[in-house]
Amino acid sequence: MGSVCAESASPSARPPVSPRPDSSDPARYLAVIPARDERATVGAVVAGVRDAVGCRVLVVDDHSRDDTAAVARAAGADALTLPFNLGAWGATQAGIRYARRHGFAGVVTIDADGQHEPSSLPQMFAARARTGANVVIGTCVERLSPAKRLAWNYLRALTGLRLEDFTSGLRLYDAHATEILAGPEASLLDYQDVGVLMLLAKNGLRVVETPVSMQPRRSGHSRVFASWPVVARYMLHTTVLCLAQIDAGRRRTRIKEGVAAC
Amino acid sequence: MLTSGGQITSAILGAGLAGAILFLVRRDHLHGPYAVWWFGVAAATFVLGVFPGVAVWLGRQTGILYAPVLPIIIGLSLVLIRLLKLDIDRSRQERRIRRLTQKLAIIEQELVRLGGSTAPEPSSDDDES
Repeated sequence: MGSVCAESASPSARPPVSPRPDSSDPARYLAVIPARDERATVGAVVAGVRDAVGCRVLVVDDHSRDDTAAVARAAGADALTLPFNLGAWGATQAGIRYARRHGFAGVVTIDADGQHEPSSLPQMFAARARTGANVVIGTCVERLSPAKRLAWNYLRALTGLRLEDFTSGLRLYDAHATEILAGPEASLLDYQDVGVLMLLAKNGLRVVETPVSMQPRRSGHSRVFASWPVVARYMLHTTVLCLAQIDAGRRRTRIKEGVAAC
Repeated sequence: MLTSGGQITSAILGAGLAGAILFLVRRDHLHGPYAVWWFGVAAATFVLGVFPGVAVWLGRQTGILYAPVLPIIIGLSLVLIRLLKLDIDRSRQERRIRRLTQKLAIIEQELVRLGGSTAPEPSSDDDES
């Protein structure tokens, strides 16, 4: 059983950029699944997403050493095959660019390792419809380790972004968010995390978090929390990024919409 | 003019470095803005090596009591500027490479969807950059 987490939201006070009138239909979204050596789980995730929201699915194979892309295609997804490793965000951005090129209304991203439940995607769309946000992040606060909680407290203080989880890969981006994230300004980012969120905040987009169930990873490991040296490098890079963009998360007064156990 | 063994050494070093740079520019190993930059470095090295009095004169003009340190300060500053420029260029190239890579994968998939090609083969190289 996955744990269910507290809901929190951190919208800016500024009204959200209005979504396109026809952008609320999940079938008009593209589900982007960045994957690297995930043959064991990617097929089930693709099938789950298709069942849950009925949208097209694109797996971005980040130079896997196994047949992740073939498994994804067999499960009914399209697949981009990167000729060398671009990292989690590079793969995700490739999917976002594909979505824009093909006229999708937005993008949902979900991890290929099975920790996110595709059945929670309708909740993401519901949260977007309820809040009018440009970006919805599915979070599971109870699953955060003490180390992650400490790291996120530090990043919250540094960035001014009032979010519970900076690295959750379960996200919904509307057309305005994908327009920004597909651009060259986002191409040197390495993770779908603070840099992405600060870029969105800098452009005045509204980000909310919604509680979802999550499972333990069935395969692989966190690319950020892989080892202490990796964590140290990540925190150093992120700190420099935050200091360079220190005003982005604080440009507008942020309102805590509510925190409710669920 | 060359009045001591030390000056002869500096002249040889300056002329040698200048000659090496000119050789690289002429062989097209350095081109465009890089060639201009290094051509300037070659000229400065040659002048300061053959005419060390120039450094003394510059030191007097700028109020530096120990004139020989002036070329070192200027040289180190220029090296730092050059390193900064290199990292800026590398970042720009990295951005372009990433976007080109993404576009390549996108177009490959579009070919697959058009039926003009089979699914792309996984790349066999181990480039992790």
